[in-house]
Amino acid sequence: MKKKILLIDDEAAFTSMLKLFLESTGEYNVAVENNPHRAVNAAEIHTPHLILLDVIMPELEGSDVADRIRQHPNLNKTPIIFLTATIREDEMQESQGVIADQQFIAKLSNTDFLIDSIEKKIALTHS
Amino acid sequence: MVDQFAIQYQSPLRVLVVEDNPVDLTVIKSMLTGTTDNYTFLKTASTIKTALEIIEEYPIDVVILDLNLPDSQGEKTLQTVHNRFNDLTIVVNTGAYEEELGLHTLSNGAQDFLVKGRYTAYTLNKVLHFAIKRKKLETELTRTVQQVKDAQEQLLQAEKMNVVGILASGIAHEVRNPLATILYGITYLHENIRVEDKNYHHVLKNIKEATKRANDIISDLLDFSKFKKLQLDETNIHHVIKKALSLIQYEIDKKTLQIVNDFQNSIPPIKIDQNRIEQVIVNLLLNAIHATEEGKISIRTYTRTLSNDLTEIPQISRKNFTPGQQALFCSIDDSGSGIPAEDIDQVFYPFFTSRRAKGGIGLGLYVARNIIDIHKGALILKNNEDKGAQAIVVLPYR
Repeated sequence: MKKKILLIDDEAAFTSMLKLFLESTGEYNVAVENNPHRAVNAAEIHTPHLILLDVIMPELEGSDVADRIRQHPNLNKTPIIFLTATIREDEMQESQGVIADQQFIAKLSNTDFLIDSIEKKIALTHS
Repeated sequence: MVDQFAIQYQSPLRVLVVEDNPVDLTVIKSMLTGTTDNYTFLKTASTIKTALEIIEEYPIDVVILDLNLPDSQGEKTLQTVHNRFNDLTIVVNTGAYEEELGLHTLSNGAQDFLVKGRYTAYTLNKVLHFAIKRKKLETELTRTVQQVKDAQEQLLQAEKMNVVGILASGIAHEVRNPLATILYGITYLHENIRVEDKNYHHVLKNIKEATKRANDIISDLLDFSKFKKLQLDETNIHHVIKKALSLIQYEIDKKTLQIVNDFQNSIPPIKIDQNRIEQVIVNLLLNAIHATEEGKISIRTYTRTLSNDLTEIPQISRKNFTPGQQALFCSIDDSGSGIPAEDIDQVFYPFFTSRRAKGGIGLGLYVARNIIDIHKGALILKNNEDKGAQAIVVLPYR
């Protein structure tokens, strides 16, 4: 069974490319939400195995979206990986992207690293 | 005799008298040795060639210089000595009716002038000591002025770095989003589409590398405000140059350009951050290509032992090198329009560009110099004597 991923980012061009890429691996079904205000609603509908969440979005920051999801009784177990354009791949190498217990991934990461991080996070949560 | 007026100086002077007229020479020598026994070191030369050799070999405090010698005449004589030995005290000895010329030499490197037949042992003695003292003060003053100028320059640079730091973090977010879009799009195409055209994968690979490079540039801009550590590896510079060339092949193909590689055989590997130096080479090559409509771009590599006075390295970068050190040189020569004289001081400033209308943002040389700086090297940029400009990267072997 394919794993469900919810991708929340205000950049429509980016989300459509990342969706295309992730789905081409044959492992995932990706739902996209470009409006951070509708993020919780989208998560309720799709019940994803994992959420990829942009950090810097206009109006509503990624951290606020994460708070809302974690306070939601049906969603608080859903793992979240933050996507960010403000750090880069080699800056995350030492910590493997874990900063203050949160998983971060640079938007321009090596694609293998992205897949690897997604797989690990899902395995950890659902084991 | 004027012995009674002779000033008693504490340290003996080391004097070189450059004079081709035997009579004049005898007069000066007798004046110098007759008034005081302080002249423990007196050398003479009758040609400029010998004079230069003596100055090179011995520590000389002051030169008494006749301007008209068999192998050099007039003010050129002064120029030759002054240009070669900037810190040397020179007193010009002029002909009997050349007072005006004498005055003129004061603006061109001489500390004082003597008019033949018009001075005594006493005045000669005094002139020499005062000249040395003045020269010392002048040298100190020049040095201090230079230090102030350098400090000003550094402040200005620091201020600009600050602005760049603020801008870069803003730009990073805005530019990386579209770059990430391109990257995932390319990765998808690369892995999923089968096309017959053999150029297809080559094109995608180039786009992917260009995207990575753009991302690196942004990262580097961010780095300069925090000076991140380099990823140093023993590297063959020729591999880096070839990689850089392949990345910008599309720019080369747009024009009628001949790329000439003049690489030193078996060049020793050097410890550098490959990606960053590649970026420097790319930036320098792009400048050369943009400046050259048609013709030749030559890339030359060679190793050299640096001289003892490091004159081949610009003043600003000398602190990065030690005399006698081995260094790797990589020069890029174009046959283009050269750098306009009014721009030459500004080309390294961030956001300075002569190609704004064509999409230049003015970070290429700025980034290149910063990368070379954190490698403790030097980046030299100058116009060629005949045509075009030359950029030289100098990296020390450690």
